[in-house]
Amino acid sequence: MDITFNIGGEAGQGIDTIGDLLTQVFVQSGFYTFTIKDFMSRIRGGYNFSQIRVSDSPIHAPIDDIDLIVALSHDAIVGKRNQLVDGGVIIFDDTIKTEELDACHYPAPLQKTATEVGGNIRMMNAAALGAVLAVTRFPFNLAETALSEIFLRKGRKVVDANVEVAKALYNLTKENWIGTCAHDMSTVKMGPCKDRLILTGNRAIALGAMAANLKWISSYPMSPSTACFQDIVSNAQRLKIGSLQTEDEIASLATAIGASFAGARSMVTTSGGGFSLMVEGLGLAAMTETPIVIYNAQRPGPSTGLPTRTEQGDLLFMLTASQGEFPRIMLAPKDPIEAFDVATRAFNLADKFQVPVMILGDQYFSDSVKNVPRIDAGKVEIDRGKRASTMASEPYERFKLTEDGVSPIAFPGDQGKFVVASGNVHLENGHITEDPDIRNSMVEKFMRKIPQILKTLNPPQVFGGRGAETTLLTWGSTWGAAYEAVKVLADKGVSINLLHFCDLFPLKTHILTEVFSEAKGVVAVEQNATSQFAKLVLMETGLTVDKRVNKYDGRPMTPRFIMDRLKEGGIS
Amino acid sequence: MITKEQLEGPQKITWCTGCGNFGILASLKNAVGELGVPQNQFVIVSGIGCGSKIPHYINLNAIHTLHGRAIAVAQGIHLANLDLQVLVHVGDGDTLGEGLGHLMHAARRNVNLSVFIHNNGVMGLTKGQFSPSAPRGYVSSTSPPEAGAPMNPVNVVAYALTAGATFVARGFSGDQKGLVALMRKAMKHKGFALVDILQPCQTWNRQLNWKFYNEHTYSLQENGHDINSRIAAIEKAFSNGDKIPTGVFYEEKAPTLAESLALPPDGRLRDHQTDIKAVQAIIDELIL
Repeated sequence: MDITFNIGGEAGQGIDTIGDLLTQVFVQSGFYTFTIKDFMSRIRGGYNFSQIRVSDSPIHAPIDDIDLIVALSHDAIVGKRNQLVDGGVIIFDDTIKTEELDACHYPAPLQKTATEVGGNIRMMNAAALGAVLAVTRFPFNLAETALSEIFLRKGRKVVDANVEVAKALYNLTKENWIGTCAHDMSTVKMGPCKDRLILTGNRAIALGAMAANLKWISSYPMSPSTACFQDIVSNAQRLKIGSLQTEDEIASLATAIGASFAGARSMVTTSGGGFSLMVEGLGLAAMTETPIVIYNAQRPGPSTGLPTRTEQGDLLFMLTASQGEFPRIMLAPKDPIEAFDVATRAFNLADKFQVPVMILGDQYFSDSVKNVPRIDAGKVEIDRGKRASTMASEPYERFKLTEDGVSPIAFPGDQGKFVVASGNVHLENGHITEDPDIRNSMVEKFMRKIPQILKTLNPPQVFGGRGAETTLLTWGSTWGAAYEAVKVLADKGVSINLLHFCDLFPLKTHILTEVFSEAKGVVAVEQNATSQFAKLVLMETGLTVDKRVNKYDGRPMTPRFIMDRLKEGGIS
Repeated sequence: MITKEQLEGPQKITWCTGCGNFGILASLKNAVGELGVPQNQFVIVSGIGCGSKIPHYINLNAIHTLHGRAIAVAQGIHLANLDLQVLVHVGDGDTLGEGLGHLMHAARRNVNLSVFIHNNGVMGLTKGQFSPSAPRGYVSSTSPPEAGAPMNPVNVVAYALTAGATFVARGFSGDQKGLVALMRKAMKHKGFALVDILQPCQTWNRQLNWKFYNEHTYSLQENGHDINSRIAAIEKAFSNGDKIPTGVFYEEKAPTLAESLALPPDGRLRDHQTDIKAVQAIIDELIL
């Protein structure tokens, strides 16, 4: 079973609610779900959709085929019709004026049933759900249990009314609708999936940060990162986290650097445009060796670009942002579960090496919803790195030259110490200097950190076994679509595997060189136009990929997209 | 009491002979010494410019930051540990130009900082270009040749007052006694305190020199000014003509930013441990 629902309509019509309901019903019923959100940069109107893929085996990406469309506007009837499979059904509200549609499609009395049965037009969501379940012949009793649990949070009365509405349209549909759907789920029992934690990438980053003892966040709202900031702020009181929406991104990073300098684990969230403003702050954090975590949920640029769409276009920018040379760490989680881990690691790495750590997400990663296994926050380990001794007899020196390049840290207010830092080149005690020998020592101190960092970072992962003829090379959120493409092709007998990077920089080259020598062809698959990761690989290793798959329309990568490009290149 | 010896600066001063910054440094040492706050609880945050080198000339915790961003960095330091006494030392070129937005917003947040502006009307360290507080017509290497600085100066006292600062004063580096008193008041004030410090640049500014300020300043407090009236303060702020008022323009008690944030009871985010069970509960609430 692998079925995709597309719920489309205008912003403000409750598309997300219907989508969430469907997701919840299927998760409650034991299925794997993967939901993407496609919306325009506007508050009302337009054409938005939420697309839910449901399967009885694990899924990691959206696919192009749509089995069922729920349309709340005319645009939504036509918007994705070309992706509807044979035997696919469009359910649309019967008040929408439309050209003659095939009889297989279904003008459903969504508004009417919500008003007449539920007494509230907002119950259209439950009505739509009833119609979807009827069309797919999904057993209502299974859904009813799920629905009750979902609505119970809003009170018994709400449960009854919504279940009544859903049931009314379910029954009405069964009686009146004459079409057939390619998917008949009448024999569906509970699915095999036990994963019931509903996560987006943004939320996973927020949870990871909170579990990692985040104590300060200052940000400026910017799509698609804002939900992460909001998640943290909404729990700030409960967990005692200082938070501030600043006047701009320049202030947000500067304030976070201040908080970190004073001893609080700190982060900022932003997108590429905001990160552009943070660049001088990045340099200050680096020069003062102040630990900081920067989360960039990327979107297509340059400039405002496509504010609510996806791209992996900031990799090289983030790699080289700021004047001067210094160690930095870049991590790009592939999915929400890895994102939680990446967020917790990011804070430990920042403290351990006293460097900026940057997490690269993107709108697709940030907003997509997946049901995942429960996360055990108790397993999170916190490593605040080298602290200066409280018993020291000598005057404290914040930038003491050490073998590994990392100086024991102290914070202003610590007994018997003066902590001095400077964005200028400085002496070991933090006061400024222009001495060439000290400059050399301090640069070399920076550089000594890099091999230590490399030892600590995770190696890339190989999926599909070593030694394949073709290797796909991916990083971050593109993993899901590539992973599924590899699976489909391997099942067909194609010799193909996937080399995937989460820890991007400093780049671990060992497995990379091995896989390049094993494969006849390496194909970089990236959500950008210029294969930026392939360029990084070339820069660090001299290795060149053989083919490139690029997508830069702002819409998420799908397995089919990758397979079509591979086919053009003779791999199928 | 912190002695002069304890505050002795780690580095040799690089300011020009006769620089107005000397008076500010001397006043700062006096004010810090007598405040009654332990020496290791002070943090100086500076921007970029001659005045912003002050952390290297006094023995305190310090971070010497970026042009214009010192106030933003300082507010983070303050909020991570409310025990700290955070002092911001910045120039006019720095904070009235690139940093003006941060100043206005920090003022309206009433974040508990003392901001000391070393105001000399020129970009000294880059060799005398007109600064945002240079008078209209001030001739420098980057002003239009005939007109001089082709715009009115930033009136920082007026800006701070309209932005909502809760302590606003102006001192003069040549009046150390007065300046020490203003600095002490600013440090004791709970909220956003700004002291605009008139400070001649001997080397570049031929107009705003010691003689000019000695002849053109007068004390608000000796002339019956009501420091509890924001409107009266704004009037005085705009009375910069032949006579420049110094002293306290305005003072008010108001809630500070820290009081509205989710800080731990002891005000020390730096030492606070998040309850991991509470995080687990947040996670578990997301489970269907």
